[in-house]
Amino acid sequence: MGLVNRAVKNISRRKIRAALVIIALSISLSIMISIPAGLMANQETTNALTNNLSSTITDTSESISQALSQIDVTLSSRFAGFGFRQESSSSAGSPSGQMPPTGQGSDRYGGFGGGDIAGQFGGMSQAGTPMNASLYADINSIKNVATVAAVLEVSEGSKNQTLSMMGQSFSMQITDYIIKGVPLTSELINSYNVLPSNIVKGRNLQSGETGVVLLSQNNSAFFNAGVGDIVSILNVDFTVVGIYEPTSFSDNLVLYMSLLDAQTITDNTDYITSLRVFTTSSNTVDLVVEDIRTLHPEVTVTTGQERLNQLEFMQSRYDETLESAQASLASTQATAIQEIIVVVAATSLIVLFVMLYTVRERTKEIGTLKAIGFSNRTVMAQFILEGLLLSLIAGIVGVVIASFAAPTLSSLLLPSVSSSFGLAAGGGAGGSAVAAVSTVSLNVELVVAALGGAMVLGILGTLYPAWRAAKIRPAEAMRYE
Amino acid sequence: MSDIVLQIENLTKTYHLGKQPVKALTDLSLQVNKGEFIAIMGPSGSGKTTLLNVIGCIDKPTSGRVHLDGIEVANTPENKLYKIRQDKMGFIFQSFNLLPYLNARENVELPMESKVASKTERKKRASELLSIVGLSGRENHRPQRLSQGEQQRVAIARALANEPAIILADEPTGNLDSQNKREIIKLLANLNLTRGTTIIMVTHDSQVANHTERMLLLKNGKIVMEKEGLHVAKKQSRCPYCDASIKVGDENCSTCEKALFETDELFVK
Repeated sequence: MGLVNRAVKNISRRKIRAALVIIALSISLSIMISIPAGLMANQETTNALTNNLSSTITDTSESISQALSQIDVTLSSRFAGFGFRQESSSSAGSPSGQMPPTGQGSDRYGGFGGGDIAGQFGGMSQAGTPMNASLYADINSIKNVATVAAVLEVSEGSKNQTLSMMGQSFSMQITDYIIKGVPLTSELINSYNVLPSNIVKGRNLQSGETGVVLLSQNNSAFFNAGVGDIVSILNVDFTVVGIYEPTSFSDNLVLYMSLLDAQTITDNTDYITSLRVFTTSSNTVDLVVEDIRTLHPEVTVTTGQERLNQLEFMQSRYDETLESAQASLASTQATAIQEIIVVVAATSLIVLFVMLYTVRERTKEIGTLKAIGFSNRTVMAQFILEGLLLSLIAGIVGVVIASFAAPTLSSLLLPSVSSSFGLAAGGGAGGSAVAAVSTVSLNVELVVAALGGAMVLGILGTLYPAWRAAKIRPAEAMRYE
Repeated sequence: MSDIVLQIENLTKTYHLGKQPVKALTDLSLQVNKGEFIAIMGPSGSGKTTLLNVIGCIDKPTSGRVHLDGIEVANTPENKLYKIRQDKMGFIFQSFNLLPYLNARENVELPMESKVASKTERKKRASELLSIVGLSGRENHRPQRLSQGEQQRVAIARALANEPAIILADEPTGNLDSQNKREIIKLLANLNLTRGTTIIMVTHDSQVANHTERMLLLKNGKIVMEKEGLHVAKKQSRCPYCDASIKVGDENCSTCEKALFETDELFVK
């Protein structure tokens, strides 16, 4: 049809102007595409984070309920763990004489305990003073004890470092990894949480296995080993069967293997560092603790209370993270809406001014068209079509720009949810809750919406100039310059 | 069917320049027959263009009646006038007013767009019209590739597109050199002769005006003089210099050999 043909020809008449308009419009449009795309990515990230945190909170809740019926039994260590669990010493509330024989004053800094917290700080020469395995039988026979897991936990580190603390000097190693040997019995594996549950690659350890190891993500990086690889631990080769994601700080460096393997490679045959006692119910914990203290006053008994505190603390951090991510998403949405309004206004104005200029420039031509019998409607349609075509071309160019620039543009224009949650999660959840940051991408709906939006803007911006064009008097054709 | 194509009675047109009313046309009456070739002359500001605009339905009269091919246009509302322009009028402008981005044929097709549905029919007619004005073979040239005379020919073909009742020409030779001027006036005279097209032409060029049938002299919005032209293309006439008879189509008097196109005098019969 003539109208379309003329619109195309009119646009191509002023190539540089058309190009400039198209560039300006397409940049605006690519911004308009990128903002919702970025918003969607932020939404996805927040959703992923929400899901991740929700499941972490569920896991944590399970841990809490399990922890309530757990008791850790350790011999107080000379060096084990400092700072964190000063109050956890079995002797805290006990009369004198309860000090373990090896105690040299520093024992009040806490039994090591293989607990969730101390592991992180277990960078001492030894993870704890090994206790003889026969202790196991004694405790296992106490009333209300469901089962007992004997655990050997040994820290391995390389660099020695001297640490001065409270007037005393300690030789300290930076822990590279912590070997945790647990009895691989089907009962302990299946019914009690002696092994991590968060397997991200491969599988968990299985009942009766030997010569195999389950690494944390940190371990995997340290050994540079994946599932199926052989790692050398204290000069003994182990096959990596799986990699788990730690659900707490303290697990970060812990690798799991069978108790026997751990005892063998660390030269601790028949020795263990702690016992994890599972009581029949959380109600019987106090009774069992009492019995253990009576039976073996030299050991440190830790109830699930501290673990509980820590888990609750973590949970509150998760909640905060979630809240902050959601608040950040809301503010991002508000920003996005403002930016889109600005861009829509700017784009419409660009079209408006360019088309107004074009109308002025073509006054005589329009007058001629009207003199030779063009109706107001046809003249108006001609201009609207021109604006529409211009914005459609710009829309397509904008989509092309956005298809590769959307991530950059949206990160420039939108406060990122991921950065805010990354901070919160990093502090609270030890990175375990950090969801994969969703990437900004375009989808068909967005592209269609953008092209539609471009055309609406084209029409909006052209409406007034086109009306002005329609109002031009045919007598303008007679004007001779 | 009446022979009268245009009947103007007591036409007055008043413009307002600020608060000052300016009378462009005063109580003007005029009758134009079908097939006439008329020149409207007069100094600038005499109202010639205003008259042309009123006839062309571009301007509405302040008072009076304008009967155009059976339609009273003075009472036609503004938004219907375009239809009359489209059906009844063909415009020729001093500066040709071709659309620069369309080729010759497309320019000629423009007025037909809403009248002739078939694209091939439009094309065919446009090509025919271009060959009538002597531009066969140049259909696909854009205006900037045509000479000024050729551009005006395209404009004339465009004016003929819808077979208008009247062709209105506003200084059609005003932008042309003498050679092109002569050719365009010959073309208009020929169209008038062969197709019977009614032409009303505003000009201040007496050489051009001499070749019409009737010359009207406007002054202060009134027709102050009316003369008969030579119209050498249409009728046998007499040489204004030696009174010998001139044959149809002669450019020079065959007796005194004076050029009939080169004088600035207005010949009075």
